[in-house]
Amino acid sequence: MDARVAPRANIRRDTASQRPHVPWAESIAAGLSRLAAVPREDEARALLDARLEWLRGALLASPYYVRRLQQVGLHPGDLQSLQDLRHFPTLERTGLALHWGEVSALPSEDEGCVVVRSSGSTGEPVRVVRDRRDCLHMWAVLRFWLERAEVALPPRPRVVLLDALPGGLEYSVRLPILQDGALHRVSVLRGDARERLRRVSPTVVFSDPEGLRWWAEQDGLPVPGLVLSSAQHLSEALRERLARVLPVPVLNYYATTETGPLAWECFRSTGHFHVLAPDVWLEPDQDEVVVTRLRPSVLPLLRYRPADAGTVRRDACACGFQGWTLEGFGGRGACGFTTPTGRSVDAWALAWVFKHHALRAFRLTQLAPTHFELELVDATEPGPLRERLTGALRNLGWSDAPRLDVRAVSGDSLVTGTKPLPFRTRIPREGNHT
Amino acid sequence: MDFDIKHIRKQLADTPLVSPYPHDLSVAIICDTFRLANLRPPSRQDWTVLEQRDRGAGLWKEQVMMLAHLLTATELRATTAATLRPNMDATTLLQRFFTEVEPLTAEMIRSNVFRLEEFLRKWVHAVEGRVKDEAPQQSAARLKQLDYRTALQEMQRADEARKQEVERRKQELQEAALRATEARGWRE
Repeated sequence: MDARVAPRANIRRDTASQRPHVPWAESIAAGLSRLAAVPREDEARALLDARLEWLRGALLASPYYVRRLQQVGLHPGDLQSLQDLRHFPTLERTGLALHWGEVSALPSEDEGCVVVRSSGSTGEPVRVVRDRRDCLHMWAVLRFWLERAEVALPPRPRVVLLDALPGGLEYSVRLPILQDGALHRVSVLRGDARERLRRVSPTVVFSDPEGLRWWAEQDGLPVPGLVLSSAQHLSEALRERLARVLPVPVLNYYATTETGPLAWECFRSTGHFHVLAPDVWLEPDQDEVVVTRLRPSVLPLLRYRPADAGTVRRDACACGFQGWTLEGFGGRGACGFTTPTGRSVDAWALAWVFKHHALRAFRLTQLAPTHFELELVDATEPGPLRERLTGALRNLGWSDAPRLDVRAVSGDSLVTGTKPLPFRTRIPREGNHT
Repeated sequence: MDFDIKHIRKQLADTPLVSPYPHDLSVAIICDTFRLANLRPPSRQDWTVLEQRDRGAGLWKEQVMMLAHLLTATELRATTAATLRPNMDATTLLQRFFTEVEPLTAEMIRSNVFRLEEFLRKWVHAVEGRVKDEAPQQSAARLKQLDYRTALQEMQRADEARKQEVERRKQELQEAALRATEARGWRE
């Protein structure tokens, strides 16, 4: 394995600072459960409207929003109900990338804020200011998902982040926020991955389709209580395979670095993503996802557009969920690259290699099993990128470095529509963009 | 007779402003509204005084034009005429109204639902009318929510407070750095 392709990681080890936030995490989970059980839309909307008071204050504390609202003759006080949102301006990813430091409010001095950078897998990388609660929010939402999946946590539960990314990064940290548990990041690229999983015996496994495919091929692994996959394309074939070897719920969720978790795919109805209200509001009856954050955070997000397709509708689902559901979700254009042995790997596992390139500024096309073409808008000095990409491909299954042609192109020639499609293959396969 | 804000907004949506009214025409429309209520409209000299009081970056003529448009395109004129009381002074009423709507541009009133509502409600308030299906307290609360003039002041105050806080933190960091340097002492 070539670990040189891994980016430098800053692992936060001040885990004791999670403990004061346990009551908050419990209240988040309780809030999600409560709203998912409200059958009447007007009642649910009234509960969400009550959250706008925080947002009004947060907008006033954000230099970007104060300026933006003044430009169009609005002020935070105009936002009295969710119905008013449609009169407010949206925020694009490019806008957030440009004004990231001004969108957030001034953090309080003891907040312990961090700036994270999105992987750039759905557009240009965006820097995002996160406060402590933003960093812990996924763990609060996990409590809600465990409840929906009817999984009881043992004392000191172990959580595994099963990683199929080419970098092979691994670590272990305490997890006081989840019943004094522990989090282990395990790379499937390491020789002892199976051993570590057996030793850890996790209750919860976070992964992606590539990691789950690896899991499905292994024998004798412990059976967790819940498996989660971030909403990359989870093919029907993989779902069936997982159902055969892993008799546990697999929860497919939709999250972005900028917003945190937004929705989760119904256990009973594929393609229906239940919205995580009241933490976020996804505007109904639009053709694309438009997010407003209703949970207090250092970063107010008002009508943020993460550039994902989908339509939200009010839904009373057969699973018992009452609320808003995202349908026709089209995040990333699915693309599988074929290894020399004929195995298909998710091309998006390479996205982070291009972290410093806008998606509209490159395109990687597989022309043959051992032949790729990389089109770059700015092709000056592509040497380090070429080396990193070759290393990443080696870790994904190309044991002999494939042929990689780098070609300089104009930006216009890569634009294929509103959604960037930076990965393509010329090898026909179901679900691929060719 | 109460002002039906929803209906007026609907009427306005059906009759968009195609081209700006000349100022003299706008003044004539407003004066006619007072005449309909048997009130003496402001004199030419009163209008000059009203214009001179304008402190809103030259927005007064835009506001006069938008008021004239609302009066002609909707039932606002009829309801206003029915609401005005004989002892009211038109010039004082207009002075109060234009002070209240000072920061609103014609573009805001034309294209922004909140500023249009604010403009209408402030007119209702100026003529001492009532909004249909609302208690006076509700109308006052809604007007307070919408008030752009107060909101601008609030946004300015928040901006200044933030800048001061940034400055304070910067100062503290500099002082801490200085203390650290002094504690290290002089070394070659």
